[in-house]
Amino acid sequence: MEMSINGARILFTIENVPILGTVHITQTLVVSWLVMLILSALCIWLGSGLKVTNISRKQAVAEMAVTSLIKFVHGNMGEGFDRYIPLVGTIFATSVVSNLISLLGIWSPTADLMTELGWALVVFILITYHKIKSSGIGGYLKGFLDPIFIMAPINVMSELFTPISMACRHFGNILSGTVISALIYGALTAASYGLLGLLGSVKVVAIFLILVGGALFWFGRKKGSKKMKIPGIVLAVLGVLGLLNSLGGVFAKFPFLAVGIPAITSFYFDWFGGCIQAFIFCTLTTIFIKQAAGD
Amino acid sequence: MEVYQSLVAVEPLTLIATICNLFVQLYIIKRFLLDKILAVLDARRKAADQQIADAQKAREEAAAIKETYEQNMLQAKAQAESILENAQKTASQRSESIIDDAKAQAARIMDKASAQIAMEKKKAINDAKDEISDLAMTIAGKIVERELNPEDQQQMINRFIDKLGE
Repeated sequence: MEMSINGARILFTIENVPILGTVHITQTLVVSWLVMLILSALCIWLGSGLKVTNISRKQAVAEMAVTSLIKFVHGNMGEGFDRYIPLVGTIFATSVVSNLISLLGIWSPTADLMTELGWALVVFILITYHKIKSSGIGGYLKGFLDPIFIMAPINVMSELFTPISMACRHFGNILSGTVISALIYGALTAASYGLLGLLGSVKVVAIFLILVGGALFWFGRKKGSKKMKIPGIVLAVLGVLGLLNSLGGVFAKFPFLAVGIPAITSFYFDWFGGCIQAFIFCTLTTIFIKQAAGD
Repeated sequence: MEVYQSLVAVEPLTLIATICNLFVQLYIIKRFLLDKILAVLDARRKAADQQIADAQKAREEAAAIKETYEQNMLQAKAQAESILENAQKTASQRSESIIDDAKAQAARIMDKASAQIAMEKKKAINDAKDEISDLAMTIAGKIVERELNPEDQQQMINRFIDKLGE
């Protein structure tokens, strides 16, 4: 069985664009526009028909989201950084929607390093702006010679690696989720073909399995013990699937084992990982800007 | 044929587009959600502040009204007391003056009565004197009319004294 893991699909290639040269319109770009559409529609829907009193459930949700965003920014940066609330909120919302859109089988823009790098560059510019603002351009440049001038290359590198590490952390987690999902699908499909094909070719074993499984289930139910019921069901289902496989046609090609089981890993890598990475990116954004601004 | 980027590809267009997208998205989120929600939250906070201020004002007004009422009540009480006191004073004054008048009148009546009595007494005495003198005259005339013996004399003196006693 062949399996390949690629980056974003290239939809169009435009040659000889001034300055940029050859550019590719990729899935990342198109899906990020889709994400923008989704988010904008959500914003307009949530932001419409607001009332001061007697609010709807929709408005309560919107207010709770905005309030928790403000609390998050205040908690990490304190007061006085209120102008970064929209930026943090935007990065978080875009990141979450981009991460979760992969659940619909759509290419996730955050699985492309360029997306996170773009956000991280914006954050990097803000960090640098605040560092220069708090200690002056001389103080900022002098900071690279701290504690001795030999450290300068390391200091420059550590400064440059801030956005790169931020981008790579997010990218790596999303990509690993995608890769692991693909691997699990591939492995389960292969296992499905192998195991069921084998069972299908030796029908006696399949029928034996159904009988043993049925017997186990029946005794298990009689005794009320789950330890016997569950293996009984598993064995019987395997036997039935093996028999179905021997019928050939669609049944032989369908990877039965790839149904249901990947949902467990998907829950961690797509749902949990997707939300937690967006949260981490925003936390780092706020903390780095706060640090750069000094006290 | 489907063409794919490598797993980690550097694509300047995607990078620039992502940054532009971020700012467009930021504007949309700020314009259509954040600002609106913040305005609503602000309006609600203001309304709450206003209500609290109104309640405070109402309470202060009520307290002022209560104070005025209490003052009025105190004044009324004091006034009532003074009126009562005045009334009592007037009443006692009047009763005293009435008593004094009555006493004075009584004294006058007594004086008049005693004067009248004295006059009556004098008159009576004068009358008695007159009668006595008349009697003496009569007695003297009788004595002169007949010879007097000692018994007669005695009898006559006794009669005279008896008359005097009447």
